[in-house]
Amino acid sequence: MLAQLILSGLAVGACYALLALAMVIIYKTSEVLNFAQGEMAMVSTFVAFTILETYHIPFQWAILLTFLFAILLGIFFEVVFLRQAKDPTVLGLIIITLGFEMMLMGFAGWKWGPDQRSFPFPVSNIETYNIYGLIISKINFWTIIVSLTLMFILFLFFRYTKLGTAMRATQQNPLAARVMGIRTKRILSFTWALSSLIGAVAGMLVAALGVLDPPMMMDPLLKGFAAGVLGGMTSLPGTAIGGAMLGMIENLFGGYVSLAFKSVVAFAIIVLMLCIKPSGLLAKHYVKKV
Amino acid sequence: MVKKSLFFTSGFFFLTIWLMVSMASAQTVRGVTDTEVLIGQWGPQTGPAAPWGAVARGTDLLVRIINEEGGIHGRKFKYFLRDDSYMPAKTKAIAKEFVEQIGVFAVVGGVGVACGMTARDYLMENKVPWCGPVTGVYEWITPIQKYLFAIYPLYDDEAFNLTGYLYEKLGYKKIAMFYQNDDYGKQGVMGVERYLLKKNIKLVEKVSAEVTDRDLSTHALKLKNSGAEAVIMWTMPTHAALILAETAKIGYKPQWATSNTLSDSALMMQITKGLWAGMINSFFGELPDSKHPLMVKYREWHKKLAPQERWGVFYYAGIIFAEPFFEGVRRAGRNLTPETWVKAMETLKNWQGIGPPITYGPPKTPMDRQGGKHVFYGKVRADGSVERLTDWIQITK
Repeated sequence: MLAQLILSGLAVGACYALLALAMVIIYKTSEVLNFAQGEMAMVSTFVAFTILETYHIPFQWAILLTFLFAILLGIFFEVVFLRQAKDPTVLGLIIITLGFEMMLMGFAGWKWGPDQRSFPFPVSNIETYNIYGLIISKINFWTIIVSLTLMFILFLFFRYTKLGTAMRATQQNPLAARVMGIRTKRILSFTWALSSLIGAVAGMLVAALGVLDPPMMMDPLLKGFAAGVLGGMTSLPGTAIGGAMLGMIENLFGGYVSLAFKSVVAFAIIVLMLCIKPSGLLAKHYVKKV
Repeated sequence: MVKKSLFFTSGFFFLTIWLMVSMASAQTVRGVTDTEVLIGQWGPQTGPAAPWGAVARGTDLLVRIINEEGGIHGRKFKYFLRDDSYMPAKTKAIAKEFVEQIGVFAVVGGVGVACGMTARDYLMENKVPWCGPVTGVYEWITPIQKYLFAIYPLYDDEAFNLTGYLYEKLGYKKIAMFYQNDDYGKQGVMGVERYLLKKNIKLVEKVSAEVTDRDLSTHALKLKNSGAEAVIMWTMPTHAALILAETAKIGYKPQWATSNTLSDSALMMQITKGLWAGMINSFFGELPDSKHPLMVKYREWHKKLAPQERWGVFYYAGIIFAEPFFEGVRRAGRNLTPETWVKAMETLKNWQGIGPPITYGPPKTPMDRQGGKHVFYGKVRADGSVERLTDWIQITK
């Protein structure tokens, strides 16, 4: 049972990590916590569902169209809402994300209705692989693989590309970044697009693991946030480790201590980490000089 | 000149008084006029419990049918539906709006134990008739409230009898329970444990899920490790779909059985990708494709008046909870007041629409407010249709 709990925890943790990743990318660039992340992912997933169910086009094309939608959604939000904020503070921007979250939730309820749907995914969520006696469902296995691959690509992107470096520079000192010739507005738009894209991947995986309905991302988003706090809100590897650890801790707690308090563990971790090591496990504590 | 002016002033004064008195006498009953009766219902149209919100829209269909047929005793019905998102704080505010701003005569339906409980005492203090809260808990009938008439079969009794069906009829001796960790789920557990206690055995496992939980892998493992042959679930649709998928992943296939809250087989088959087949369900209303004359009639009206709505159990449950209310209005006659409506409701004896037979009052107690006391069992076929296993069974004695 122990190994099975750890394995299941890793699969769930991979989803948490992806959502945390989407949040961390925004946070790294603008220090804004995007509370609309879950609903942006949910709407993108509904778009994928509509394309697949209404137009019956192959899955890979539907996914590409969904990615395009997610990118445009991210840019739309940044340009139409956040950029228009007058003398924005971080808190003000966070409130805007909360407002956008509610707008998206209302829109999804109006457009697709409240009923749960089954998301048509090419990988079965019932069929399993048997790895040395450990059973892992195909969907869980591929969730882990997709998450790890995305994280690795993003790690390379931030570490070794000019754009990635520009994004980091924009977060650390927007003024200096502008002086150095970085077009910070474009960087911000790109950041939101990238975050929305990763969120869309997470959304589709969450829907494939369970059901598709407007509130489907409420719990995963909070867990993703907890994973980000645990690993460090500015560290990509930290996010991956945070997600995996959170998934495993939750499962082990549920399996051996109390199922009733399984969900609470994530929030206890947030409180503990903020008290003991606010920067998270892998992130460095960054202090701005004034 | 002065006399003339005095004459007109006093005439105007008496006319005003007369108008006020006659208007007041015509409007003595809140929400009832010569031509209209105002009724309200809350229900989650957004949020995690939104699929159950279809109930409130189903009631709207019945209201429109009755109005299309000319109303009752010369009065048509005006229906106010409010979204409480399954949040009790909102429900309380809606109840106040119904009474203090809209001035409804009655509340019909209303999803959610916690939601309804925030409004119950307020509605009763204001003598607002309330028919058919959409949950089967003891809170509606204990202590007895004069103006509150429950219809939904009690979860406790339903679970008690369902366990008996699994144990005695189908021969399952090792039974586990998967439930939602709130009043709804706990009253299901109460019934199951009550039955097993009678047989001197225990549940082999009792696993709960929080409303917001989306990862049920641990829950599935616990159920599998219990070795239960049959699992009774008392949850919302999302959790039912998640637990079936998780148990299927680990190769655990017990006999599942569940409450009528999950009796929308078409929806459940769709969201579980077919895993719902084989489920033993209790039902508190006719099946969607029933040839019962009322079901045929309602389906036809549904096509005309609300074709955008899916004809599912949750939707037409809104009719089930409202039918007895309108029967009470019919029996109360033209002089409709909360008192005459209550008296009329107390005359219902085995009255049946498309739901269970409804009886209030003697012989059990002088003021019995639990109207629905019956369910029937069915088994979901692989194509999503339901094989009816029993006739109506009385679960509340």
